[in-house]
Amino acid sequence: MIKKGKNYPYGIHVKDMKELCADSAIEKMPAPKKVYISMLQHIGAPAIPIVKVGDKVKKRQLIGEASGVISANVFSSVCGTVVAIEDIVTASGLKMKHVVVENDGTDEEVLFDNIADFEPKTIIERIRLAGIVGLGGAGFPTAVKLSPSTQLDTLIINGAECEPYLNCDYRLMIENTDDIYRGVKYAARALNIKRIIIGIEANKPKAIEAFANYPDIEVCVLKKQYPMGSEKHLIYCTTGRKVPCGKMPFDVGCCVQNIKTVIAIKHAIEDNKALSSTVLTISGGGIKTPKNLRIQIGTPLDDIIEYCGGVSDDTVKIVAGGPMMGKIMIGTNSYTRKTNSGYLFLTEKETSLDKPSNCINCAMCAKNCPMRLMPMYIEAFALNGEFDKAEKYGAMNCIECGSCAYNCPAKRSLVQSISMAKNKIKEMKKNGK
Amino acid sequence: MANNNLLTFSSSPHVKSPKTTRQIMIHVCIALLPALIMGVIYFGLNALLLTVVSVLSAVLSEGVYLLATGKSVREIINQFDFTSCVTGLLIALSIGVQCPVYIPALASVFAIIVVKMIFGGTGKNLVNPAVTGRVFAFMSFTSIMASGWIAPSINALFSGGSYDPVSGATVLTQMLSSNALPSLSNWDLLLGTGVAGCIGETCKVALIVGGIYLAVMGIINILYPAIYIATAGLFAVVLNNFQFTYFLPSILSGGLMLGAIFMATDYTTTPNTTLGNVIYFIVLGLVTTGLRIATGIEVVSFAILLMNLFVPLIDKFVINTPFGFVKPKNRGCK
Repeated sequence: MIKKGKNYPYGIHVKDMKELCADSAIEKMPAPKKVYISMLQHIGAPAIPIVKVGDKVKKRQLIGEASGVISANVFSSVCGTVVAIEDIVTASGLKMKHVVVENDGTDEEVLFDNIADFEPKTIIERIRLAGIVGLGGAGFPTAVKLSPSTQLDTLIINGAECEPYLNCDYRLMIENTDDIYRGVKYAARALNIKRIIIGIEANKPKAIEAFANYPDIEVCVLKKQYPMGSEKHLIYCTTGRKVPCGKMPFDVGCCVQNIKTVIAIKHAIEDNKALSSTVLTISGGGIKTPKNLRIQIGTPLDDIIEYCGGVSDDTVKIVAGGPMMGKIMIGTNSYTRKTNSGYLFLTEKETSLDKPSNCINCAMCAKNCPMRLMPMYIEAFALNGEFDKAEKYGAMNCIECGSCAYNCPAKRSLVQSISMAKNKIKEMKKNGK
Repeated sequence: MANNNLLTFSSSPHVKSPKTTRQIMIHVCIALLPALIMGVIYFGLNALLLTVVSVLSAVLSEGVYLLATGKSVREIINQFDFTSCVTGLLIALSIGVQCPVYIPALASVFAIIVVKMIFGGTGKNLVNPAVTGRVFAFMSFTSIMASGWIAPSINALFSGGSYDPVSGATVLTQMLSSNALPSLSNWDLLLGTGVAGCIGETCKVALIVGGIYLAVMGIINILYPAIYIATAGLFAVVLNNFQFTYFLPSILSGGLMLGAIFMATDYTTTPNTTLGNVIYFIVLGLVTTGLRIATGIEVVSFAILLMNLFVPLIDKFVINTPFGFVKPKNRGCK
């Protein structure tokens, strides 16, 4: 069943750049010699390593145990020996405990036992065990998301993939359609939901076609617009419901799941596999052969670069994630995490290195803001240290999609200032309590 | 990328639209060219001379100011964003060709130094520099600027600057003072043939072409000047006992077109929301026509200057409602 999504007038049109590798099928990259597995690949408390240096571990063996409700298990992605457990400062600037496993090349793996039944409780417990988190980027533990306090009525699958360059969800939608379908059904069962919608942007006709044959999934064709994949806008465009400011999707009876997450659910339940690999898009003008790769978690970025034929000299930015919301890398000492969706190698021509100049009050930021905020005021207050006023202008509602800064003719770093304001406001509230 | 030190560290987004301030201002300059060309055709090379002097003094005064504040020449050239060009052009186009060259020069220097640079440069000015520069010149040299209008002639360009027909007032001032329709047809007013007036305000077609160019390039929303012009015209109709014949002459005469398309739409001095803009341009239309009829002179620039001062007020009260905004519940007493 195909239907058209609701129109949402605010948003921007960014050059797609997906053609770089939209047609290249997902390749399985061989496991590297050493993997560096971070203990914090999700929102919440870091996992606690339960192995020691010198231990032999098998593929998909538990090496980091969740330390609380909002936390997730971490598994080894190769079979081999633990050679180090150390704090590493990665290229994103974060210091985190990593378990380093040397690959012995045998690929021996451990699997869960067959699932006992398909009761919601059992399914959620398996998802929790398998260390599945929201693989769209946020990394919120999926088991927690699938056990809301109220009964929901709609499960929405996010197939928008509105970020330029990225193709991993698109490739999975056309290559692993059946896995997604089965994973969705398990998620729906866990939530006791009948209505399933998959939202796909209109620029992915093949993916829309692939899902058209499933009778119990509504395919919602969305306008190609950034940020269609934002949770709140996806819910609005597929169901017409508005998530109130400061509220969560479950407040309007919806649960949004990412494509990769539902595939991971399928693997955990049917194939008894814990989450140990993910699909990334390696793209950008700076990489020799842009590819969509299935990569073992913990693979060093250097190995990925080598596999893709190297990086050209005119690369000026390495970005983890999409170009609109991705995080900048200051080097190549980055290791694949569950939540990664890609690495981009941008040349000067593709990215913007312009220095910011005075705001000319053109209001392009306000005109395009998908959250209908006034970014220019929030920025001005943030830079002035008036965080209470920034909050009054809705700073906390900002989803940091970057639509404002994308359009700014003065090239101001609006997202940076607003995100700084958000952190300060959170800090102020914490201290105030 | 052999060296990691060559990588750039910056906040997201990592791709940006190619639009820059400089590009926008260049587009505005291009959009003003048809009006300038028609001005030169109608009023002769003297019009071009006034424009060049005006633009040069605007650009140079900005440069000198920046030099005085300790910027290097290279920095100034790198950061040059053509806003002063736009200011200079607008000032030249909104004065009559009878003016001596020192008038646009002084107006431009005043506009750039006092109105723009002292407040912090591009984007920091409270009021539109070009409008204020013109008002400054008008107040200082009223006798020269408000009289001795020269009617355009297609031969002006070739006759070497000897102007014959000197009419005392513009069509608009005639219309306002005699309270009767002008003798010229609406076509003459639209094309500017035989209409005495400022260099750039005479040929309305050229201004409309420029406006359409800006709208197509996505720089202005054509709705806003349209609202301004329509409100001003309709209010003139209302004030003239609903005689609809007044609609076209009042919008096609004077500086309304230039003001509406190029001066009132200046980013810095317009509200930041759609609703705010609609309010602003409607009130601007009413104020313009009201003042025109009350004073009997051309007041578009005064009206814009006046309304500019209300922009911060509009912006304070009219802001966008966030997506999913819920009105906070009244918690009884507080």
